[in-house]
Amino acid sequence: MQQQTIDHLALIHSAQAGDEASFSVLVEHFYDQMYRFALKYSGSRTDAQDITQQACIKLAKSIHQFRFEAAFTTWLYRLVINCAKDWYRGRPDTTTTETLVIEVSDTSGDSMILLQQTLSAVDRMGEGFREAVTLVLGEGLSHREAAEILGVKESTISWRIHETRKRLVAMEANS
Amino acid sequence: MNEEELKRLFSEANFEQPDAEKKRAAIEAANLAYSQSRPAQSKKSSNATQGNDDPDRPMTNIIDLSRREKMSQMSQRWIYSGMASAAVIVLAVGILFSSLLVPNIVGRPDTARNIEATPAEPSVATLEEIIVTGSRIYANDERELEEVTVSTPQAAQIEYGIAASRMKAEAAKYASATSKMAEAKRLQSEGRMFIDPMSPPEVDANQDNFQTFETNPIKLVKDEPVSTFSIDVDTASYSYVRRQLNQGVLPAKSAVRLEEMLNYFSYDYPVPVSTEAPFLPTVSVLPSPWNAHNKLVHIGIKGYELPASEVVRSNLVFLLDVSGSMNQPDKLPLVKQSMSMLLGLLQPEDTVAIVVYAGAAGTILEPTPVSEKQKILSALNRLSAGGSTAGAEGIQLAYQLAESSFVRDGVNRVFLATDGDFNVGMTNRDDLQGFIERKRESGIYLSILGFGQGNYQDALMQQLAQNGNGIATYIDTLGEAQKVLVEEAQSQLFPIANDVKLQVEFNPATVSEYRLLGYETRGLKREDFNNDKVDAGEIGAGHSVTAIYEITPRGSDGLLDESRYESTAAKNQQGDEYGFLKIRYKKPGEKVSKLISQPINMDVAGGSEDARFAAAVAGFAQLLKDGRYTGQWSLDDALQMALENKGQDTYGYRAELTQLIRKAITADEMR
Repeated sequence: MQQQTIDHLALIHSAQAGDEASFSVLVEHFYDQMYRFALKYSGSRTDAQDITQQACIKLAKSIHQFRFEAAFTTWLYRLVINCAKDWYRGRPDTTTTETLVIEVSDTSGDSMILLQQTLSAVDRMGEGFREAVTLVLGEGLSHREAAEILGVKESTISWRIHETRKRLVAMEANS
Repeated sequence: MNEEELKRLFSEANFEQPDAEKKRAAIEAANLAYSQSRPAQSKKSSNATQGNDDPDRPMTNIIDLSRREKMSQMSQRWIYSGMASAAVIVLAVGILFSSLLVPNIVGRPDTARNIEATPAEPSVATLEEIIVTGSRIYANDERELEEVTVSTPQAAQIEYGIAASRMKAEAAKYASATSKMAEAKRLQSEGRMFIDPMSPPEVDANQDNFQTFETNPIKLVKDEPVSTFSIDVDTASYSYVRRQLNQGVLPAKSAVRLEEMLNYFSYDYPVPVSTEAPFLPTVSVLPSPWNAHNKLVHIGIKGYELPASEVVRSNLVFLLDVSGSMNQPDKLPLVKQSMSMLLGLLQPEDTVAIVVYAGAAGTILEPTPVSEKQKILSALNRLSAGGSTAGAEGIQLAYQLAESSFVRDGVNRVFLATDGDFNVGMTNRDDLQGFIERKRESGIYLSILGFGQGNYQDALMQQLAQNGNGIATYIDTLGEAQKVLVEEAQSQLFPIANDVKLQVEFNPATVSEYRLLGYETRGLKREDFNNDKVDAGEIGAGHSVTAIYEITPRGSDGLLDESRYESTAAKNQQGDEYGFLKIRYKKPGEKVSKLISQPINMDVAGGSEDARFAAAVAGFAQLLKDGRYTGQWSLDDALQMALENKGQDTYGYRAELTQLIRKAITADEMR
């Protein structure tokens, strides 16, 4: 979701005006980026597929609410994050015990599983950590950009990233 | 794990290509949602220029046919006659089409195998869906379309596609939506005729193999006063249904087994204090939510929890499928994690052996005490997937190992983790079943953990579990593994009663009709109840089992007519009882069954929160399957009832059900 050309703005305008073809092109164009971001957030291909589908539907329903005040990608990140949070809400907690994380991390097998487990460890650190880590370390955004997407202060993001680093180091030392 | 490593993991996601099928489905769903999200606008424009004159009129009016009022705006007769005549022509074409397509489908190797085993399976379930779609399209104006009788569901669908393409010719500008129909047509021409173009894709489910069954019918107490069935503690159906709903798809009807959805939840029924009787039945009567005249008889059983002092030694054999088909993140890696979880709960002196099978079966780990946990873990971690599946050979080897380290007075159990696709060696299901049946006599239990989707062989899993004194569960997430193997480890590991059968005799003086909800695949003959040779389900420590009958008390309006010549005898006998409940079970290792019985009194209290929650689950399952007996009761009512009776819900499973009902409502609307 990095680049954005003037074409997309035109597409958004006509999608807001009710043009189905434009909307279709828009979804088609952003799907891959949304999927990859959802994958980074969830660490699971099936979850990412589900989240992206929900996000596409939500995009359809709320495209007319986009006000061109912020970048479209900023808005889209927020939308995917909200869908992902909704997705995990109401599901039983899938986080595993600390020991298991360490045991399974010796497998050099599927890195998605490893990512998923690291993310659930991050998730346990508190509200908002997973989002901050995915945006900054995953998408390579600046703290300021992530702060804008999440609607928090830049210093909050810096603190969350700092805490996560400390936690990762501690986890490594334990294993 | 450090920051750089985490960044590297993240960057791997940048090279991921999204699954094309899922992408297409998501985009279609979004397009549909988009066209539906603008009703106000479309109404305005169609008021200004009604009918087909307005070339820019949003396609909503044609796609979203569930909105009757919009359909009626399309009042020009020529459209209808055009559609009708196109449909009539196409009806013939459709029949031709479908007969041409059948060999095509049978020709696909993997499907062919499934069809051979259960001939009607893949089609029936989906065809039912199509009938619904077909009728929805045309029901809006029976006046014009009465003469079009839809003779076969396939015809109905193809008819729809072509009728739609006729409209496309007439109104060429409705590009985006019609291209969706063209896509559907293209898929049909490729032989994938079971895809409903308007519903979220059910493509994935089509390769999953489920046994079809008919919903239990209403029985007249006079004709058949006694109902007998085996208990069932499997939960596979619920997890599978959850997986489908989480993907925004309604599950195949044959995948919905009411009793497994009911028994997924744990209920707080009273537990016996002594181990003399392994469980206590709890009976309550509550009003039927979907029929004011009827009542639900709710029967709950909970096995006693094993005190720590009574935990016996376990001898476990993990039988793991490492064939090529298991090489997916939701399969083998999840299997390894599930097994590591289970390991954490065993006693140091328990033994674990690992057998794997792919092209050939092999022992990876001889029976090893759990005290050597690291050895077991490293054996697990070395596994990788590849090759074809010699499942039967693996099963034989696993039973052999279990026998070699058999623990008397302990638990001997084989855990089979697979996606069920056995394709090498003894692939004949009856041979396999015969083998498992013989092994059952030796006191070895079987637990089946099903994984993956797309080619999930549920029918075989059920067959093996039912015949091998086993439990079939379906693991779709780490959370489910946690529930099955950690929270319910006691129930999974320690059986407290074998061959548990239930029999209810209804009182003709007080009940005119009854219907057993679910347990279709577990029905027994009346005479099987007292025959200890007949196999039935097992209950593990702490397992709860729920069964619900819907009854029509005498005097209320039932669905069946009263017999004109039937004598009105038997009145006044036990006039305060609806019926009599009998339960037979065997203690583990014993050959002779014991009996528990109690009357079903009319005046029992109105049912607990648990009973009402169970009723909501049963109602939801019925709506997912066919909703044949639920009248006007809707998913929204099910949601309401589940929300009101959620109770304590320590682990959040009941909250999850309410989410699933919401997803079903969305998926249903999208159809």
